[in-house]
Amino acid sequence: MKILIADDSRVMRQIVTRTLRQAGFDGHDLVEAADGRQAYDKAVEEQPDLVISDWNMPEMTGIEVLRALRGGGNDVKFGFVTSECTQEMQDQAEAAGAHFFIIKPFTAERFSEVFTPLIG
Amino acid sequence: MSVQYVPTVADLNEIVEQVWASYLDPEGVNPLIPVESAADASDIHASVSITGSWHGHVVVACSNAAGKLAAAAFLAMEPEEVTEADLIDVLGELANIVGGNVKSMLPAGCFVSLPHVVSAPAQANHWPAAVQVCELAGLWSGESIAFSMWQSRELTGEAAA
Repeated sequence: MKILIADDSRVMRQIVTRTLRQAGFDGHDLVEAADGRQAYDKAVEEQPDLVISDWNMPEMTGIEVLRALRGGGNDVKFGFVTSECTQEMQDQAEAAGAHFFIIKPFTAERFSEVFTPLIG
Repeated sequence: MSVQYVPTVADLNEIVEQVWASYLDPEGVNPLIPVESAADASDIHASVSITGSWHGHVVVACSNAAGKLAAAAFLAMEPEEVTEADLIDVLGELANIVGGNVKSMLPAGCFVSLPHVVSAPAQANHWPAAVQVCELAGLWSGESIAFSMWQSRELTGEAAA
């Protein structure tokens, strides 16, 4: 399974990668994007099975990426890992077709709970 | 514009405890020990700005050694392996996490900026349009680290009226 990790923080991409491993999701093909534009482009070009995206990124925000993908008919499993966690944002994410919403800081247990039904 | 809520030290503490439990002290053996003043936490400053229904800044300040310890913990490496780029990225992410969580406690309609990191003492940082409204200062492995919130002077004036 191919997983796209989109976050403008290299540190957070590493933490997401490590937490996936700690949660038992080893052996997947991981692809990274360092801003929203890259995330959109790689989601189209690389055709990942899952996109784990930050919300607040340069070039395009995560929600803009999701809306652009859905607008183009792309139904990849897509969700957010973000420190911003207002109800307003969660509603926007759900309305745009997000599959999950993980709040930073997060734990391996939280990853396991969210991703087992998606890629387990 | 009316101010419905002013963040407190208790709010900051709640968020910081989650950060320590998740990334900086997952074993629960090396907590942040509160201190009165953040006088020594002045080598690196990372901040995010919040705009919208609340205006201000969330600032993380720490000594170089505390920054390296944080970067080492975030990146699962030894402190001596931490590069300047690691340090800046980790402190920026720390400000982003705390700022993002602060946003969730504020009235709806706020926006959080991308992080800004300055490797310079406190005297190099100025927030002319804002005043500090709360600060959580502590020692972590004997090193200084502090989290503070700075609120628009305009909002502070309205809140006091």
